[in-house]
Amino acid sequence: MKFIVSKKLIDNRALYVSVLWMVIFLILALMLNFVAKSIDSGITPELWINHILGNEAEFIEPLTMKDLLLTLHTELFELILLFILISALLMRTSRSKKLKMALLLSGVMTLLLYPVGLLASLTCGSFAIILAWGGFVLFHLLMIGSALDILILLLRKRF
Amino acid sequence: MHHQSLRLLALLFIALVVLQSLLGGAVFATIVGWTPHAIGHYYAQKSLHGLLETLLPHTLFIAIALMGTLHFLGFISTISEKQKERWIHLLFGLFILDQSAPVFINLGIDFFAYVKLSAFVGFEGALAGVSYVLFRHTLGKGLIIPK
Repeated sequence: MKFIVSKKLIDNRALYVSVLWMVIFLILALMLNFVAKSIDSGITPELWINHILGNEAEFIEPLTMKDLLLTLHTELFELILLFILISALLMRTSRSKKLKMALLLSGVMTLLLYPVGLLASLTCGSFAIILAWGGFVLFHLLMIGSALDILILLLRKRF
Repeated sequence: MHHQSLRLLALLFIALVVLQSLLGGAVFATIVGWTPHAIGHYYAQKSLHGLLETLLPHTLFIAIALMGTLHFLGFISTISEKQKERWIHLLFGLFILDQSAPVFINLGIDFFAYVKLSAFVGFEGALAGVSYVLFRHTLGKGLIIPK
């Protein structure tokens, strides 16, 4: 992505506007993904536990292994792509190296926590789901924050 | 310190991509099966329409996703043009084999169950490999800025 986000980006109007719109859509995609997940599994860890492990009292069936794997496989592919795009843009910003590295390391760790937690829930139960929930929420917050920062820097032409 | 962080980041990213590949394998094994016999049985009983329901969206969207991912290889200066070509041919080639094998199984050529299994494993592995190559060079200094 360095070829897109370089100092020459500001001079190249077509590239500048394209990247600007792409960042807006990345933010939108992250927000929509968060909303979709909230509708599907719930917004709190308790709702996630009910959705994945089931709840006899509320007549909620547990998620089948097949559905869990299928959901994880599809979502992880999408989240990895979002992470690659945002990290590639973030690396070229004028922010300090330490801050960028901290953001990217936190991003990749929280993203790993999400599938690992969900898979571990098969043996470790609800605690692992709470970790997965934390990973999912933190990853989205981190990536939305980073993308908003990139957008502001782009708008202020400080790339 | 920065170098170590970068290495840790790359390692964590590989773990992520490997996990995604393993998940792909697990999904396939859960739905279809893991032995050539199970694969042959699963695709043999499907109708052509049923096969096309999976084949069509995969052909279109994975090809676009591959193109989107692989075109970044064009901007990497630290691996040779030959290596880039090999990655691209390998991924698209394995993808064609992976997608077309079920049609041949459906036509009664059982040997393609082995082709499907090999192509699927190869494709997941190659995708993990190229993702790592791209990510490592995105963070490093190996990218070319076009004039």
